[in-house]
Amino acid sequence: MTEDKFDRGTALTIFGTDRHEDFVALSLAVIISLLVYLFV
Amino acid sequence: MVYSQKTPWTLVMGLIMVAYAYAVQSGAMAGVIKYLGTDRHAGEMQILGYAFGGIAVAVGLWQLVAKTAEGHIDYYLSTVGGVTFIMLVAFIVKWGLDPQMAQWGRAAQSTLGFNFASVMNLNYVVMGILAGIVIVNVFKVPAWAEHGVRLSRLGLKTGVILLGTLYSLAELAQLGKLSVVLIGIFVLGSVGVVLWIGARRGLPNSMTGVLSAGVGVCGVSAAVAAAPVVQAKSTEIAYTIGTVLMFGVVCMFVFPIVGKSLGMGYIQFGAWAGTGILNSAQVAGAALAFQPNGIETLKVAEIFNITRVLFLPIIVLWLALWYVKREVGAQQVDIGQVIFSKFPVFVLGFILMFALSSTGIFAPARHYQGAYFDNSDKIMLKTDKDGKVHSRLLGDKDLEVLKAEAEKIKRDDQKAALARLLENKKLMSIEDDDTLRGAVNAKIFSKPANDVLTKAHRAVRHTAPKIAMFRDLIAWFFTFGLVGLGMQITMASIKQAGGQPLVIGSIVGVIKAVGSLIVVLLMVSESI
Repeated sequence: MTEDKFDRGTALTIFGTDRHEDFVALSLAVIISLLVYLFV
Repeated sequence: MVYSQKTPWTLVMGLIMVAYAYAVQSGAMAGVIKYLGTDRHAGEMQILGYAFGGIAVAVGLWQLVAKTAEGHIDYYLSTVGGVTFIMLVAFIVKWGLDPQMAQWGRAAQSTLGFNFASVMNLNYVVMGILAGIVIVNVFKVPAWAEHGVRLSRLGLKTGVILLGTLYSLAELAQLGKLSVVLIGIFVLGSVGVVLWIGARRGLPNSMTGVLSAGVGVCGVSAAVAAAPVVQAKSTEIAYTIGTVLMFGVVCMFVFPIVGKSLGMGYIQFGAWAGTGILNSAQVAGAALAFQPNGIETLKVAEIFNITRVLFLPIIVLWLALWYVKREVGAQQVDIGQVIFSKFPVFVLGFILMFALSSTGIFAPARHYQGAYFDNSDKIMLKTDKDGKVHSRLLGDKDLEVLKAEAEKIKRDDQKAALARLLENKKLMSIEDDDTLRGAVNAKIFSKPANDVLTKAHRAVRHTAPKIAMFRDLIAWFFTFGLVGLGMQITMASIKQAGGQPLVIGSIVGVIKAVGSLIVVLLMVSESI
């Protein structure tokens, strides 16, 4: 896979920046933890 | 640019997933599930099959019939094909290859003398990456899946954040001071040495960073956790895992020979194996090879091993700061500003989860790797809706079986633990539980008596449901991330990475093994 195949993100991620990806991962993890905390 | 492709494959894969979930639900897969021993996963097979299959069917149909235009909807929905592709491979790995390999490992144990699946760490982590590597190098990743493969790092990062829930300061506080000091020196020392050698040999920062975590902390999982912190390439992670596992296999066979020839005691050897060997399964393998008829060495090795694993949060934080500093280089910049702008936010998430877990909100504070001891009446005697009491205490028949074989044990601590069990009909402490697990492990009793002891053990040891759920979720995020990661490892990229990491990893591994041997011989006596 090469970079020029995608005009958004890079070959490694669909997000514009690493920080954007980090925040998405953090949001996902927080939502999941909350669900586990409340319902398990 | 329009990303969605008109392909029937998303729809086909979705239908396969839904059909599989339905087959599990209707009992058509019962034979296969029983053969592989995956009954525990039957629930997730249905939930994940229907959920991912349903989404893939809906999106697959939309992509086939709808006219797609450039925009956010097209961009994000076009990843569904790749995500479904990875998940399908992950299903095969986790529900098929992983249990099958474990079965073959157990079957070959009597012939080989060791469980190759456990020793070689042939679980879903390694097989996920291997499956990805095979797909990209033998068949190529289909064009419609390439876009979704770019989500694998997001999966890894989410898994790493959730990994924080499995660690707790309370666990660390339960460990001996000596193990914390010894492990601290060697973990931090090895990470430091790898970072130093890597910089001197001109290795990329990402390669050095991931290798230092793999060699310093706990092998495979540490390498996976550190990879996104230092922005490691897929090939670099594969190299690190390969180095750690190959080195560990050699150690597992060499350590017991060296230990016996030096006349080391159980505690000394346990401390050495837990410090010097990098992979948890290999630590256990070496400890059991050194003392096959008891559990003392294994217990000490486990304490050192878990201490090593608990250093992961510190190492992750260190590597994050080190990487940011190295990448900025020698430029005169405001370090606070750089950390603020470059520090990986997901590492903070990992630390946050670690802090939350340390407060005991996910599991009782005394839990050890998710399991905790409780023999209170509330747990042992449960009353159902009809007012009927269900007892988990040992019955009269169980007690008769144990009494008939009580004479077989010779050790005083085991005799005392058994006497307390017979008197109270339940295990009275963690220590008694551990002592009698040792007797079971040493095969002193007959099978029926061992079964009674196992029943008593299960009655007082409980898995924290929240931790068990987190462990399952983390396993899925990692499987997803690692299969996708494997799909980015081409033969050309492996050649490009060269053999340097293997050499540096092995050098540091040998230094650590020899150094810890000397320190253990000097500092650790048999009365720890």
